[in-house]
Amino acid sequence: MTLAADLVTAVGPEHVEELTDPPGLRVSPGSAPEVAEVIRRAGAAGAAVHPVGAGGRPTKVERDPRGERPRVFISTARLDQVVQLDEQSLLVHAQAGLTGLELERILAPRGLSIGDYPPVVLTSSLGGIISVRTPGKSSARHGFFEEAVVGVSAVLADGRTVHTRVAPRRSTGPDLARALCGSEGTIGFITSAVLRIHAKPEARLVAAFVLPSVDAAIAAVYLALREEAAPSGLRIYDAVETAVHFPGAKLEPGQALLCAATAGPTDLAACDRDLIASAVVAEGGRTGEHALAEQWWKRVHAGVPTPGPQPSLQIMATPSKLRPVYHAAIDRAQQLGHTASAHISRFDPDGGLVFVTSDAPIAEIERAAEVAGGYLLGARAHKLDGYLRALRDALDPDQIMNPGTLS
Amino acid sequence: MHALDADRLQRDLEAIFGPRRVSTRAVDLETYARDMWPRMLIEHRDGTPAPQRPYAVVWPEHVREIVALVKLAREQRIPIVPYGGGSGVCGGAVPLRGGITIDTKRMQQLRAVHADELICDVEAGLNGERFERELARRGYTFGNFPSSIYCSTVGGWLATRAAGQLSTKYGKVEDRVAGLTVVTGRGEIIETDGPSRALRGPSWTQLLCGSEGTLGIITSARLRVSPAPQLRVFRGFDIEDIASGVAAIRRVVQKGLRPAVVRLYDELDTLLNSFTHHDAAADHDEPALAAPVPLLATGALPAWPEGPAPEPSFVEKLVGLAKGKGVAGFRGGAFKAALGQSELVNKLFGAVERVARRGCRLVIGLEGARIRTEVEAALTFAELEAAGARDRGEDPGWSWYRHRYAVSYRMSPVFRSGAFVDTMEVAASWDRLLDLYHSVRAAIGRHAVVMAHFSHAYPDGCSIYFTFAGHAPDAAQSERIYDAVWRDGMEATTRVGGTISHHHGVGLLKAPYMAGEHREAMALFEAAKLALDPDGIFNPGKMGLRGRVR
Repeated sequence: MTLAADLVTAVGPEHVEELTDPPGLRVSPGSAPEVAEVIRRAGAAGAAVHPVGAGGRPTKVERDPRGERPRVFISTARLDQVVQLDEQSLLVHAQAGLTGLELERILAPRGLSIGDYPPVVLTSSLGGIISVRTPGKSSARHGFFEEAVVGVSAVLADGRTVHTRVAPRRSTGPDLARALCGSEGTIGFITSAVLRIHAKPEARLVAAFVLPSVDAAIAAVYLALREEAAPSGLRIYDAVETAVHFPGAKLEPGQALLCAATAGPTDLAACDRDLIASAVVAEGGRTGEHALAEQWWKRVHAGVPTPGPQPSLQIMATPSKLRPVYHAAIDRAQQLGHTASAHISRFDPDGGLVFVTSDAPIAEIERAAEVAGGYLLGARAHKLDGYLRALRDALDPDQIMNPGTLS
Repeated sequence: MHALDADRLQRDLEAIFGPRRVSTRAVDLETYARDMWPRMLIEHRDGTPAPQRPYAVVWPEHVREIVALVKLAREQRIPIVPYGGGSGVCGGAVPLRGGITIDTKRMQQLRAVHADELICDVEAGLNGERFERELARRGYTFGNFPSSIYCSTVGGWLATRAAGQLSTKYGKVEDRVAGLTVVTGRGEIIETDGPSRALRGPSWTQLLCGSEGTLGIITSARLRVSPAPQLRVFRGFDIEDIASGVAAIRRVVQKGLRPAVVRLYDELDTLLNSFTHHDAAADHDEPALAAPVPLLATGALPAWPEGPAPEPSFVEKLVGLAKGKGVAGFRGGAFKAALGQSELVNKLFGAVERVARRGCRLVIGLEGARIRTEVEAALTFAELEAAGARDRGEDPGWSWYRHRYAVSYRMSPVFRSGAFVDTMEVAASWDRLLDLYHSVRAAIGRHAVVMAHFSHAYPDGCSIYFTFAGHAPDAAQSERIYDAVWRDGMEATTRVGGTISHHHGVGLLKAPYMAGEHREAMALFEAAKLALDPDGIFNPGKMGLRGRVR
């Protein structure tokens, strides 16, 4: 029996499809046991398996270090159910193919929310969000998305299904769910996850502030965070980017616009907003037009389009490196005779993201930002590659799970 | 191992550590043969020598020495067991198959505090209390205050995923780790740092935290710190019963409020605690934010400060019940009649409490930046009152705060008296928390007198801390009771879907229950073991892993 026919018997003919670019079979299992069956059969046939998320099509497929062999792309498209909603513990067990936004639509009528994560992050499938660690999947209020993952169910290379157990915290060895988070399908195929969710906040407030410089705006943000403000969103625009995004705003050259959102019990949301306002004043700034903050929030959270071009690149920087990274990126573009602007957002305990928009060669800006201490998208700790390889070998000796990735 | 091997091993170790930081003296080997696991204390009390002792104890001062030791251990297939403060209560530091015990306490530098990043760089052997004291001097706190803080180390905390009393605000230690330096079983030094969110791949930090020396030796860590609190607020409340108390706490934490500490005592715990200190008249001066012990310049453990109240602690009173003596105010016939019948004592106390309508005591505290803490405290107290809790003022809270480390240091008299006492800290999500409480209490209560409090609350669940005491005429019978308590307690926990440990770790005590805890996911732990410790030299025989070293 061919592999295609074998997979048809596992999931049904309408859920197996032959792809030409890249070549392989796309299979859409409808349940975790079907995923296990597909992986078992693919492994027995000497094929490699690759996960496919909300996009529906495999994007970049890495070279297989074991040489060419048949590829099976396992789509999570049909794994789109909420398995259990525990409103008492504020936990949801959802399948991997559900996107963050779809889950949010299910939670909203019940007065619940996945949390104040950037909506652009939530357009991905939950499996994709959890499997791939990239900066920016975070919220100043809730932390990094991965920290909301309480349990993971995944299928290993030999077809075994593992469920890491749910507990608010535990002291029973390593966090096994975290071995699966970020593993990009190389350790197990994530079929579902249990996530912490939140009650919809009683109040949401937004405010805009004008500061004398980007440096002053960054300083104000960290001053407020040290006073324990926990905003649900923060964004700093430099003057050039403010002019593009908010044509009505009148900023002097060099000034910066800080937009902030707070949420929670009304008194606490107001307290957080006031802490930010005080920090702004301490750094020589003032309150700006409220309408700017409302515009910003609608663009980020209600899908209202943002004017101007998309950012050319994003650079992650720790709190002390945000200033040098911002200046290095802008200065390098200007040295090369190009214009450049930036906004800084996605603050969390690790730092924030600098989004640069410029027509200068991206590689030049990236190099300057890296020299200044920034991290580029997709950075890896290569020194640990040998250990990851050993971990994979122990679970997947034939390297069928997303081969070529993370190696 | 025969004499020739021992001589050679000593020579090899001295070549790495010098003669003064290697010991094969009998007194050291006996000392490092156990930690504070109560089951071993029962044996020790009866004069039974430790069943296993290390071949040697070493005191490294530099990570290079540990690398050299790992290479030696790999060549000679000798186990390595890390040892911090020795305060573990699960037998995690017991050298089950002999080998070399590494005492980390000479690696005790707080190397740096990076104020801009709110991260410090600290060596694993630093004593917990000294760590917090040195941070406080610089204006920061790590926020981990376990009751063992005077006799535990930073490395021990990380190796066991420890929790402090203020975990509801600061999280457990694993929530505060930016990176670890670890010597692996291949004899390599790895660093798991880097802004974790910017680096692809699984989180090695979260794989190594809690591995209890089975995957690697943690030698230093980059930990997140917070500005030292400017304000601390405490309050005591009484609430009808456990169910109402649990509902009230859940309401607070799910509202987005983050008290530093919330403790809800069940009826017996409330009773014994209130006789001890919670309602005692107390001066209202706020104690200094740092603990009142002079900093020692050496690696020695700091001295315990001048004493907690001279009257018996609630643990001693619990033991009194277990021995049929009753307690002040409840002295007399009922308990003597119940001698040896712990189940009856447990039921009796539940009934007495219900009749007396004392309800349950809830202690709550907030700390942090002044303005936000004030606002959060007002909202928190209002939320509790809305949930039916009755405000009892500041005294009960401050009283708890003053005595918060006392209990752990009052165990010796208990064991010397022939009794035993231990604690079982389990946790579950809110939907099954009361089931967990009733199931485990019933399971333990069949064998010992038991009380409990709920602490370490999170938006998705909470921990329950059971304290139990028993008494038997000899060690053999004590051990039988002790083992039955743990067997039934752990099985009850797993049955209702709780976790068998919230912050004490696994060690030897809970190793038999790891398969029930993780089931098929143990395959991931086993794979991590193969990847990081291919020869199986690190702390063999622990945590339910399959050990392969001789």
